[in-house]
Amino acid sequence: SNRSFGRRRRKDWMKLIYSTSLTPEQILTHGKDDDAMEEDGEENEDEDDFFHIKKRDDLSKDEELDKTKETIKEQHLKKWEDEDVLESIRNLFITGEDIAQGEDGA
Amino acid sequence: MAQKGPVIHYSGHQYLRSRLVLSILSGKSLRIEKIRSDDKNPGLGDFEISLLRLLEKITNGTVVEISVTGTAISLKPGIISGGSLVHDCSLSRSIGYFLEPVILLAPFAKKPVQLTLRGITTDQNDLSADLIRTVTLPHLQLFGISDGLELRIKKRGAPPAGGGEVQFLCPIVKQVKTLNFVEPGKVKRIRGIAHAVRVNPQFSNRMIEATRSILNRYIPDIYLYSDVYKGDESGKSPGYALSLLAESTTSAIHCSEAVSEPGVAPEDIALRATRALLAEIQKGGCVDQKHQTMVLLMMVLGSEDVGRCRMGPPTTRTIQFLRDVREFFGTSFKIVPAEPSKPDSLQLTYSCYGTGYVNSNRTLA
Repeated sequence: SNRSFGRRRRKDWMKLIYSTSLTPEQILTHGKDDDAMEEDGEENEDEDDFFHIKKRDDLSKDEELDKTKETIKEQHLKKWEDEDVLESIRNLFITGEDIAQGEDGA
Repeated sequence: MAQKGPVIHYSGHQYLRSRLVLSILSGKSLRIEKIRSDDKNPGLGDFEISLLRLLEKITNGTVVEISVTGTAISLKPGIISGGSLVHDCSLSRSIGYFLEPVILLAPFAKKPVQLTLRGITTDQNDLSADLIRTVTLPHLQLFGISDGLELRIKKRGAPPAGGGEVQFLCPIVKQVKTLNFVEPGKVKRIRGIAHAVRVNPQFSNRMIEATRSILNRYIPDIYLYSDVYKGDESGKSPGYALSLLAESTTSAIHCSEAVSEPGVAPEDIALRATRALLAEIQKGGCVDQKHQTMVLLMMVLGSEDVGRCRMGPPTTRTIQFLRDVREFFGTSFKIVPAEPSKPDSLQLTYSCYGTGYVNSNRTLA
């Protein structure tokens, strides 16, 4: 299990979703330190439920809405003002050429 | 009240809609406690109560009990009866909030659903009536739910006062088909709807022009429609929006939307929607994040065969949904990289064995 390919180790989604008690938010922010995080998650399970100090979205933060549409983040869209970025997805359209090693879809 | 059968317990207000849907479809009772129990406004919100009332209308024999403080509910599901219904939605959420769960239940009703919903048709949070009509409903077609499936936007209603009205028509099915959707294909056409109510009607055209300035470079098959509603049909408040979708050669649909904001020009709203669409196209996959849970649910209900779908990483909602599905239906998904040879690809293949869910409410012919 210590084999890691390249820079980023792929998340083991099935394990994270079905075999840990990490919250969905923790799973998504789950980074390279897989093992450390998982231990945290498993420890949480054993914590006494009664004397928790309120954390996260309980009081301080605005409630996260049960909504389907993601909020558009202006800063994430900024890159699309760049001509090269616009050109970089041309291969995803029928009119675009396949990139050399890209799959054909057919 | 004596509960028969298993009761699934949850705590907190989150993920309420999908839990209600899972309870009704599975027939398993649901109890949720600690609903905003530490909030300055404890308990269910008016929109959640409005949703519960709507679910009571669309079903028969459902027993909903809400605690005095509103911080706990019990739901004992009845059968999905369907039929002709009208519901005035709470104005704190748009019609999409209410329609999304109904769309998941309606195919399994006893009688075809003809539901009129009144309220806000487009806002920042929920899928607009336009996106539901052009993107969400086509996703049901992947599962064999198509003939007579329709959303009619009778009147538009912008926030805060709404005044919109839609009619949702849904056929009933005996069973849904197994999905096998792993080829995203390439974008072959782009469609869009620009609408403007109670503001300068030129705003629609200004949005369309701004969008074309970016999209024309990619493909010729672009059709952006300026949808005009006048007088009583345009609701009670001013607003405008641009909804866009890109359809691929394999019928994968990616969509985006931007809604008017005070002090932002129509051109900038349009550019926001356009760039968001390009971001969605770049993310790829056969199904976007907004429709992950819907597609996964239909895969669970599919016939007893292995269904497969290629999508991006799960959202927080999807992660919790996968866990909840296992509680209600006992189904877990296999989730593996879709392109194992490409280390940078975030695409995943989700597969599961369908439960062979049969619509037992359906009147026998």
